[in-house]
Amino acid sequence: MKALKLRVCDFATTWLPQVLSLVSLTLCLSIPAAVRAQTPQATPPPPAPPRSVQFPKPVEKTLPNGLRVIVIERASTPLITAQLVIKNGGEVDPPEVAGLSNMVGDLITKGTEKRSATQIAEAVEALGGSLYSSTRWDSTRVGVDVMSSKIGPAVDILADVVRRPTFKDDEIERLRQQTLDDLTVELGEPGSIARYVAARVIFGDAPYGQPLAGTPESIARISRDDFLKYHRRWYRPDNAILVLGGDIKAREAFALAERYFGDWKKPAEPLPPLPGPKPVASAEPRVVVVDKADAGQAAVLVARTGIDRNDPDYFRGLVANSVLSGYSGRLNQEIRIKRGLSYGAGSSLDTRRNVGPFIASAQTKNQSAAQVAELLLGEVSRLATAPVPDIELNPRKAVVVGNFARNLETTAGLVAQVATLAVYGISFDEINRYIGNVQSITAGDVQRFAGSHLDARGTSIVIVGNAKEFLPDLRKKYPQVEVIPISELDLNTALLRKKQQTN
Amino acid sequence: MKQRKLGALFLLSAVLLISSVCATDANAQVAMPRINFQQKTLPNGLRVLSAVDHSSPTVAIQVWYHVGSKDDPPGRSGFAHLFEHIMFKATKNMKSEMMDRLTEDVGGFNNAFTNPDVTVYYEVVPSNYLETLLWAEADRLSGLTVDEPNFKSERSVVEEEYRQSYLAPPYGMLEYLIEQQSFTTHPYKRPTIGSIEDLEAASLENVRAFHETFYRPDNATLVVVGDFDPKQLDAWVARYLAPIPKPAIPLPRVNIKEPERTAERRITHHAANVPLPAIAITYLTPSEKSPDAEPLQVAATILAQGESSRLYRSLIYDQQIAQSADATPDLREDASVFYFNVVLASGKKPEDVERALLAEITKIQDAPVSAAELDKAKNQLVTNELRQRETSNGKALALASSAVLLGDPNRVNTDLARLQAVTAADVQRVMKKYFTPANRLVIYYLPEAAKTSPTGATTDHRREQQRGSSALPATSGQRGGQGK
Repeated sequence: MKALKLRVCDFATTWLPQVLSLVSLTLCLSIPAAVRAQTPQATPPPPAPPRSVQFPKPVEKTLPNGLRVIVIERASTPLITAQLVIKNGGEVDPPEVAGLSNMVGDLITKGTEKRSATQIAEAVEALGGSLYSSTRWDSTRVGVDVMSSKIGPAVDILADVVRRPTFKDDEIERLRQQTLDDLTVELGEPGSIARYVAARVIFGDAPYGQPLAGTPESIARISRDDFLKYHRRWYRPDNAILVLGGDIKAREAFALAERYFGDWKKPAEPLPPLPGPKPVASAEPRVVVVDKADAGQAAVLVARTGIDRNDPDYFRGLVANSVLSGYSGRLNQEIRIKRGLSYGAGSSLDTRRNVGPFIASAQTKNQSAAQVAELLLGEVSRLATAPVPDIELNPRKAVVVGNFARNLETTAGLVAQVATLAVYGISFDEINRYIGNVQSITAGDVQRFAGSHLDARGTSIVIVGNAKEFLPDLRKKYPQVEVIPISELDLNTALLRKKQQTN
Repeated sequence: MKQRKLGALFLLSAVLLISSVCATDANAQVAMPRINFQQKTLPNGLRVLSAVDHSSPTVAIQVWYHVGSKDDPPGRSGFAHLFEHIMFKATKNMKSEMMDRLTEDVGGFNNAFTNPDVTVYYEVVPSNYLETLLWAEADRLSGLTVDEPNFKSERSVVEEEYRQSYLAPPYGMLEYLIEQQSFTTHPYKRPTIGSIEDLEAASLENVRAFHETFYRPDNATLVVVGDFDPKQLDAWVARYLAPIPKPAIPLPRVNIKEPERTAERRITHHAANVPLPAIAITYLTPSEKSPDAEPLQVAATILAQGESSRLYRSLIYDQQIAQSADATPDLREDASVFYFNVVLASGKKPEDVERALLAEITKIQDAPVSAAELDKAKNQLVTNELRQRETSNGKALALASSAVLLGDPNRVNTDLARLQAVTAADVQRVMKKYFTPANRLVIYYLPEAAKTSPTGATTDHRREQQRGSSALPATSGQRGGQGK
């Protein structure tokens, strides 16, 4: 599945993200009364009393240069994850050079004052690890996962690439061509196209609307000077967080941080202010079809703005989304389980520094795309019109708690979660308050959240597929539908069209 | 992907990798924590493997059935996988989707996957639900009561899975071709996902017969890893699973041998939605039980894992002729297929990329790999394995794949030594032995626009080797395994 997207074989990890296991629950949810035991064989035996849970507690200190260092000790497996987080990502890219931050993230691993691209890869892979950089909205994560005996040399390389990249011209041109090819492949997939289009539909020309990895046009425009400026501006100790988690003692971790990052100079000029909340382009919902005649399946999305990560409604939003999403969530119940229309339907409430997107989606055969759009929209609307019965709400809360606990079970998952809290300035106390926060959400909370944040009237529809199979159905209900042939799709602007013309 | 049941594609090679790079070894730089397991076989033939791990208050439960897509009934390609979906529908004592009530609703999860050799069902739940899940697994091993509407609806889901995994992504069809065309005779030539036509032909009667034939205690392995009391486990297994009778009829087993390849075969396939041309080269290699399996895994790692790997360095970095380059030692029970797939960089010719790929194969045949490369590959494989085993579910997969596929659960603790013993000479020997021109299938996967032959999508330059029934479906396919 992932194999062809990666440049290199990574066969052992292709399935890793799917193999999750669960840390724990303090929730004690009894199984429904209808299935309680009468005879031992005809009904399931009831559960024993649950065990309680303890999450590891991060410790931290800030170096004199402003670098925040966070350590989470957990010795169960001889592995350590080290992650250096820059507190900015695609949201600070100027529109004409969208994809800049993503390319900076890739380029730092392609040569430093001490090591060439090849030497960096050889050094880190000889340790059995791999160096990754991941640019996203609001942050950039550069990290290594290694056996605990290899952590010293791994942090040495991590510090080198973050602090001393050279941005050589030949590496820039090589990466530019690779990025363009990657985009070509990505834009062959209906689901990817639909997500890019949805971002433009929701956020217009604001930063979250642009493609994180850029467009062919913006990638072509980025100069070496842009890379140098970006690195100088955002890669600095007082805009960074180092997180070390796994089989390591806090004392050793702080010593490593001092050794490899202690002399990282904080620039004299103050940190640039973060971009403030940007107005969302258009409250007017759109219905957009991208006509891709060779699509073997249609990608169907309904999309609108959601909330930001610090919104007081965050936990209400998590639970509301869980009622819709997950295997037994309402979307999958209606679309997959009841009707066999998709391999899976779900939704995501993506919370960011500023208001992020809410997207409900499914892929289906081209002929059923219009029907699936109506089902997605119908379920989102229904959440605001009636309270969720407790017999449905309690299991969905258990799902939120279970997913949270499972994410903390692996070293990499634990580090990622802690890094995210740190990026958004949220207290680590939230980790141990999480279960209680989820449990306290009521049916009324969910209904109010849906009413104020997920109103279907503000929701847009995006379908990427073979339009002739579903357009007549869709037009009946949405005569205003915008139909964009794939050859005319332009992700550089909210117009989404290469040239102005009527349908 | 985001959704758990969308994401359950398991590659057989990944599952096998677990079982071949682990265990404690005095010479290893890091000791792989041992899995201290218990095993027993019940009088009805059910094998039970268990390992206690109290690090989190959860338990992983897996049931491995030794039946895979190679056992699909005639004319029913994709059936073993479709059947796996049906196992989540009604049984005598459970309504459809009750497995989700017993797992997801209490904060756990369930899923399943099918590959050419096995079908695996798994759950992770808070440990106080262990008894409940043993009851449920026993119930669906005892029989299914699915009705026609539920059967048809789930069959539509599987057809959408086919579209989502093989039609929608640009190189889905290439994956299908690799699986379908690499074998000429052995049932491995039928991709696990099957074809829409064969899925449409499947019936409830097929479901009943398949359950009766293959879903029996003497064809199953129960694995429990996590937070439980062994005495309690024994008692629950005795109560819920031991009473299931062993059928008197023998278990059918595939005994067809894939013949050796005798000459290079080349296929050109034109497809819609090919953003950049791609090529694949496949070689037949022996069963995963062969001692050559470890050197082949090390070779794949040296060739293609990471940016310091040979293919990345040569094809992507230095020559800049490829967008991606993978090597997969797809290890299987009866015979394996080691394949390369390379997506071209824009503006490059498949002939040039093929030549460059073959040059790298010649290079690793002509001279032994360096000690540094060998060490690096071993470190990478050990680290991957450590990451697998961070969870109870990962440990259970490692343990069961050793038992079911390699025939010895102890391999979970001894295979690290086998890996450490691989030498540069071993790698060179297996590369010379199997990566010969006569053992080569070359696939060119090109956009429709590049098509010159008017006679159909696929041109097989040695048609006489194609079997009558293996006509290409109009769509794409898959390789290793197929999830719920």
